[in-house]
Amino acid sequence: MTRDLLRRSGSLAALLGILILAIAISPTAADGSRIFLEPGNLTDILRQISLIGIISLAMTFVILTGGIDLSVGSVLALATTLTAMSLTRWWPDAGYGAHIARTIALVLAVSAAAGALNGAVTAFLQMQPFIVTLASMIGIRGLAKWLSNNENIDIGFGRDVAAQFAAVFREKAVVIGSYVAAAAVFLVLLARTVFGRHVRAIGDNERAAEFAGLPIRRTKVWVYALTGLLSGYAGVLYAAENHQGNPNAGVAYELDAIAAVVIGGTRLSGGKGSVAGTIVGTLIMGVLTNMLRLKNVDSNVEMMIKAVIIVLAVAVQRPRKEV
Amino acid sequence: MLLQATRVSKHYGGVQALRDAEFALAGGEVHALVGENGAGKSTLARILAGVTRPDSARIVIDGRPVSIRHPLDAQRLGIGMIHQELDLFPSLTAGENMTLGNLCYRGGRIADFCRPFFAQVGLECEARRAVETLSIGQRQLLAIARALSMNARVLLMDEATSSLDATSVERLFAVIGELRRGGVAIVYVSHKMDEIFRIAGRITILRDGATVGTVEAAATTPTEVIRMMVGREVGDVRHAAPDLGPVLLSVKLPGIGFDLHRGEILGIAGLVGSGRSSLGAALARLHADRVVLLPEDRRTQGLMPDLSVLENATLAILPRLARLGFIRRGTERREFEPLGRRLALSCPSLDAPVTTLSGGNQQKVLLARWLMRGADVLFLDDPTRGIDVAAKLDIYRAIEELAAAGHGIILVSSELPELLRLAGRILVLNNRRLAAVYDAREATQERIMAAATQ
Repeated sequence: MTRDLLRRSGSLAALLGILILAIAISPTAADGSRIFLEPGNLTDILRQISLIGIISLAMTFVILTGGIDLSVGSVLALATTLTAMSLTRWWPDAGYGAHIARTIALVLAVSAAAGALNGAVTAFLQMQPFIVTLASMIGIRGLAKWLSNNENIDIGFGRDVAAQFAAVFREKAVVIGSYVAAAAVFLVLLARTVFGRHVRAIGDNERAAEFAGLPIRRTKVWVYALTGLLSGYAGVLYAAENHQGNPNAGVAYELDAIAAVVIGGTRLSGGKGSVAGTIVGTLIMGVLTNMLRLKNVDSNVEMMIKAVIIVLAVAVQRPRKEV
Repeated sequence: MLLQATRVSKHYGGVQALRDAEFALAGGEVHALVGENGAGKSTLARILAGVTRPDSARIVIDGRPVSIRHPLDAQRLGIGMIHQELDLFPSLTAGENMTLGNLCYRGGRIADFCRPFFAQVGLECEARRAVETLSIGQRQLLAIARALSMNARVLLMDEATSSLDATSVERLFAVIGELRRGGVAIVYVSHKMDEIFRIAGRITILRDGATVGTVEAAATTPTEVIRMMVGREVGDVRHAAPDLGPVLLSVKLPGIGFDLHRGEILGIAGLVGSGRSSLGAALARLHADRVVLLPEDRRTQGLMPDLSVLENATLAILPRLARLGFIRRGTERREFEPLGRRLALSCPSLDAPVTTLSGGNQQKVLLARWLMRGADVLFLDDPTRGIDVAAKLDIYRAIEELAAAGHGIILVSSELPELLRLAGRILVLNNRRLAAVYDAREATQERIMAAATQ
């Protein structure tokens, strides 16, 4: 009975539980209010989860088709590098607005192309996405390091275009707004469009999708291209946030994104899952991290606790065994 | 009797595969176990081999009751099974396959262990060769050698010749003869009459999961056995073939050629493996724009289990229901609802997962998917397999309506009464060739089975 309820409400119940726990154990400020609940802290959480959140939206689509994308962290690193290079070294004569617009367009185009390449190799050569994106994870990281000569490219704090860019794109409102906008688009994309329906159908039963004449390969290319696109945009935000292009950025981001997706109840073998679940999964991880850091829990202990949470969240949601 | 099994029952979900089946095997005989597709013969063999657990069964070997709950139990009792898809490990060597899980192998050189058994079955192959490099015939012999090396006194062979060429079949029969003379009892599961009457001493016939009887091969005829396999009752309602419309599709494939007319229901009979399903795949490939295929296995090839009833039904026509890529959900529902009523689809909610429906209603959803697509030729591959009688009648009615509306329908079925009832003409496939064509009015189950099994 309880288990049934837990399964149906899924990750939302887990989020509620963690929220209550976070409020309960939150340290208090001098005036007695709980630090966890302060608006500054709550928006900090949202800002901290935004990058992984954005990536995991697209990762949800990949996993729904029955695939996986390990290259998101590397694409993010490439995007931070390209952003910084473009702003500090290229188009010195362009106006600020045009320079920033061109930079972002370039970065998004390259990132989406990298993703589309993942999708094309997966779909047309019928290779396992794990292997294809493992290769591109290595190769794209190499490209980012090679382009930047293995060095961070700093974005200053002055009045030049790069600094202006960083000032805007590290605003809490911009970062959180980006995540909210992307989440809204992906919610609608999955629930309301032909593309979203095809994504779920292909992951649910690819053989039957083939018999039904669905555009399997085209859909897969789009799904991986979207993942590249969003990872690239997350890279733009990362560059602004950290004031640098960093070819070593985003290591293990793919694992955080996958964790958020599965905690949100999406089945790793595809077909079943939701964008809303992924958002909840991302929030769970974010609140958990914040809660433990407010309590000054050792970061290694934090990892161990997260491990337990991942297993628990998925165990609670697993389907009843068929009779 | 060497082995006696009584009151063997087994169900899978709602399907009763065996109900109180009986089987008795004498030492040193070749005993054929026959029946139509789905009669339960493979299930019975798998129960004796410990691969499948029965719901209930009483098995007596050498006068002692035994319980076979695991393949190793069967091995200890001297029962070996050669599965239809030989259960060998393809990347491992022949020798490794011989010794894995073999209680009789107690160390020592693998090649020495294999040699006498390879010689016994006439398999010329080195023990260190990978199984995937062997021919199908050699693999078959290897599987037999493996069973013999486990001191098998009873050898169960399930559709042993289904993928063998003529030479390998002869070789296999010679080996079977040798083994029988050496005192091994062989249970030969098959529905190929010529083979059965060549090698079997006795024949046990199963129908709908129950034992119809056991006969001496020398005292009966293939016709008599076929009659026992299909039962007496022949489809009662027969439709006179309606006047055929113009030719809709002309099929010319190697070994199979026919014309399909507008408004015609063309029946296809044949055993599993006779090429009836691959015919559907070939037609769907050659005429992708006109032929739609309702596949034989609706779970693996048709349904999206986690999508809803409505989503499954409209899957193939989504672009038509969408504007700018957005699905118009009201339109989607309105398009499907009249069709659902016409097919008498019974489901609690169109938004429920399709797997919550009964098999018959699932099949209707798939049928709806293709009807909405408006294809003019439908290839229905065993559309009523494993569904209940009431749903069957709904599907029959839908098929007849479709034909009346001018579609051409190719209907594959394992159930002959169904073909006799629905089809105007019946093509019989055997070994991937067209073996016979009957007008439904002159066809009988016996004649069809004879053409399908000879």
